[in-house]
Amino acid sequence: MAKHRGRGISAIEYPTGMNQNGDPSQAWIKMKPDGRVDVFSGTSDIGNGSKTIQSQIVAETLGVPYEWITYDNSNTDSSPVCTGTFASRATFVAGKAVEKAALSARQKLLEIAAKELEIAPDDLEVVDGEVIAKGAPQKKIGVPDVAAAATWTHGELITGTGAHLNPYAAIVEPATGKVDSPPHAAISYAACAAEVEVDDETGEVRVEHLWQCFDVGRAINPTLVEGQIQGGALMGLGLGLLEECYPYYPSAEHRGGEFGSYLAPGIKGLPKIDTIIIENPSEAGPYGAKGISEMANNPQPPAIVAAVYAAVGVWVTELPVTPERVLRALEQKDRGPREDGKWVIFDEDLSVDTVAAEGSRFHFPVGG
Amino acid sequence: MKAVGARLPRYDGVAHVTGRTEFVDDVRVPNMLWAKALRSPVHHAGITKLDTKKAAAMKGVHAVVTWEDVPRLVYGHLEALGIPGDEPLLAKDEVRYKGQPIALVAAEDEETAQLAAEAIEIDFDERPALFDIRKAADPDAPQIHHWGNWYPHFEAEMDVRQIRKGDIERAFDQADTIVSGVYRPAAIEQAPLETQISLVVPEPNGRLTIYSCTQALYFSMGVVAAHLEWPLNRLKFVGGTVGGGFGGKVDTAAETVSALAALKAGRPVKWRWTREEEFLCSSTRAPWHMEIADAVTKDGWILGRKMLTLHDSGAYARFSPYGVTKHSFHHTGAYTIPNLHFDGYVVFTNRVPTTAMRGFGVTSVSFATETHVSRTAEVLGMDPFELRLKNANRIGDTSPNGIAYTDPSTVPTIHSIAEAIGHELPGDYRAMTRDARGGDLLPEHLVAQVGEVDH
Repeated sequence: MAKHRGRGISAIEYPTGMNQNGDPSQAWIKMKPDGRVDVFSGTSDIGNGSKTIQSQIVAETLGVPYEWITYDNSNTDSSPVCTGTFASRATFVAGKAVEKAALSARQKLLEIAAKELEIAPDDLEVVDGEVIAKGAPQKKIGVPDVAAAATWTHGELITGTGAHLNPYAAIVEPATGKVDSPPHAAISYAACAAEVEVDDETGEVRVEHLWQCFDVGRAINPTLVEGQIQGGALMGLGLGLLEECYPYYPSAEHRGGEFGSYLAPGIKGLPKIDTIIIENPSEAGPYGAKGISEMANNPQPPAIVAAVYAAVGVWVTELPVTPERVLRALEQKDRGPREDGKWVIFDEDLSVDTVAAEGSRFHFPVGG
Repeated sequence: MKAVGARLPRYDGVAHVTGRTEFVDDVRVPNMLWAKALRSPVHHAGITKLDTKKAAAMKGVHAVVTWEDVPRLVYGHLEALGIPGDEPLLAKDEVRYKGQPIALVAAEDEETAQLAAEAIEIDFDERPALFDIRKAADPDAPQIHHWGNWYPHFEAEMDVRQIRKGDIERAFDQADTIVSGVYRPAAIEQAPLETQISLVVPEPNGRLTIYSCTQALYFSMGVVAAHLEWPLNRLKFVGGTVGGGFGGKVDTAAETVSALAALKAGRPVKWRWTREEEFLCSSTRAPWHMEIADAVTKDGWILGRKMLTLHDSGAYARFSPYGVTKHSFHHTGAYTIPNLHFDGYVVFTNRVPTTAMRGFGVTSVSFATETHVSRTAEVLGMDPFELRLKNANRIGDTSPNGIAYTDPSTVPTIHSIAEAIGHELPGDYRAMTRDARGGDLLPEHLVAQVGEVDH
């Protein structure tokens, strides 16, 4: 009996936006008479930080301080369509919609400022809450003054709308799965290494250290994207080691109906997590961003399973990797895969060809 | 100050951690009723009697809603994507999973509503249930779904999601080794702190205001509008702040039935699921069964992949056909594999319908394919970094459905991890980039696929 250490790795990819697209988001923006900005978007914030991210995109695009932004996603009377907060789309697709709305509002802001400064809109820019003549920064007017002029002098509203939709990618060949255009808004990538300690007496697996590298395109908010990656790691540990609704799957009996009988990971016992962010900007995302939120719980389980193999020499391919599964695998360690010609066949006892009855439609033939 | 790239605190973080954020359960309105559901106590049965008279007559009970009160009983949440509906909002003449909602009672308080739900007279004719997706196509399997035991409505009315690319048999002939394995990740709970909940307020002007924990306001509003057969201007969804969703709150679980109860009672109705209901009756991440056989050369090129996926959809389709399609599109993972043969089935069982959860459709395939790649490296006696870098997708390579990758980062992210853990790579692997393969770098088995790319 001993404790053994091992490392495993994984490399993954994940699409941004609904599979096959066709998922619109819309936004509109209005400016108050003192230059403060109201953003209306239908994106629910499920803890992913989309309110903050979209507010940052609007502030950056309009050229005003972040603190000036009020973001309202509270109801469908005031907010336009957002397909929803899923499919890693809240930064990329919905973020693109608020960016476009902000560009449109910015244009209106410049048109009003042009009247006040008597300089053409194309010769103006917005920097830190001021509209400034390009090349002649002494000629300027504060955004609050432009907003006031719009309201009280010109009888206008500084406003803008924006929408983003990646066209639906139809499956044009059902037999092959071919599509007529890219079925994603973007694809994101990540790699991971896990170091585990396995107790060959109790079967317990502890993840000691995770290293995770994500290409996020552009970190709109590094703190929040790190939060997604680290929070995702926690869920990945649950998938890999702890969580299962049906402890005797496929049986539906003996489900845990409370937190006390359902093992989810907690902060206690977290491994050391190293988070590495790289930024290869996406072609189409707001400021080059991609969506990485969902994939953040995908790389850990395979890295953990490979690390367990490196530690004790058994592959556990039914999740989660419970102590019971580790011990059962260790008992059968000598069995190894079946070799048949050039085939190396693992897990034959789990295969449909072993479990299903003669005449089943489901079939996966292995062997020479 | 640059806003993009700034480490700003969360807009709502302080309110969340100081308990000042208002979630749906914090909203109380005058004259509000509370709702409780009658749910199926069995996995699979015909309903032979459903009589709500006694329950409806109880003191404090203001409405009992059953299937008869639903203008449009069956609406598929993804009908716009061509996935037809199969699930009644409330069970009509049969139940297909334990916990399936049959009726909702709105009463003065939760206890009265619960007692009334228990007073509904119902009889079942129990039927055999199916739980093992591997046995769903057995000749003697119990038939549990009116479409058959697996989903039959993919494009061209196919009953399987297929990917075919290249010449799979040639790849298997040419392989030095074929490695096969089986991968089975479990169902898990989204386990949000905020259980499913809604509050529906009938307004004097005839509209309904629906306080919702949905992850998708407009999507859920569309679902309610479809069941009620109402235009969108009669509904107002209030939400946008969600106490944890992780995919489970894409299902519009509580809003529609609560709306029907509020209309019937003429009073606001709140339906708040218990923790036990959240665990046992709300949808879960799906269990999957995946089998992979990879045709590889002794120096580590993956020439071809055959894969079979069985997805445990539970009792109804919900988003599962979408999930399996997404899964199929990503079944080569972060690699370029030129010859593919993939079959994916959405298989019905008598468990709670499964639904979206973080990484929907792909978490499973990432686990299967990455574990399989690690195994293949072990079988070949190769460094798992090198096997991955060799087969990594590159700019201009094509996806399983023939789309060119424009900005893959498999090579840079693997390089980063190798460096982070101090894993030395040979010079030619260290020098790899994500740029397009070409000339001497292009292995023969990839020539054909790179040639067919439209740039």
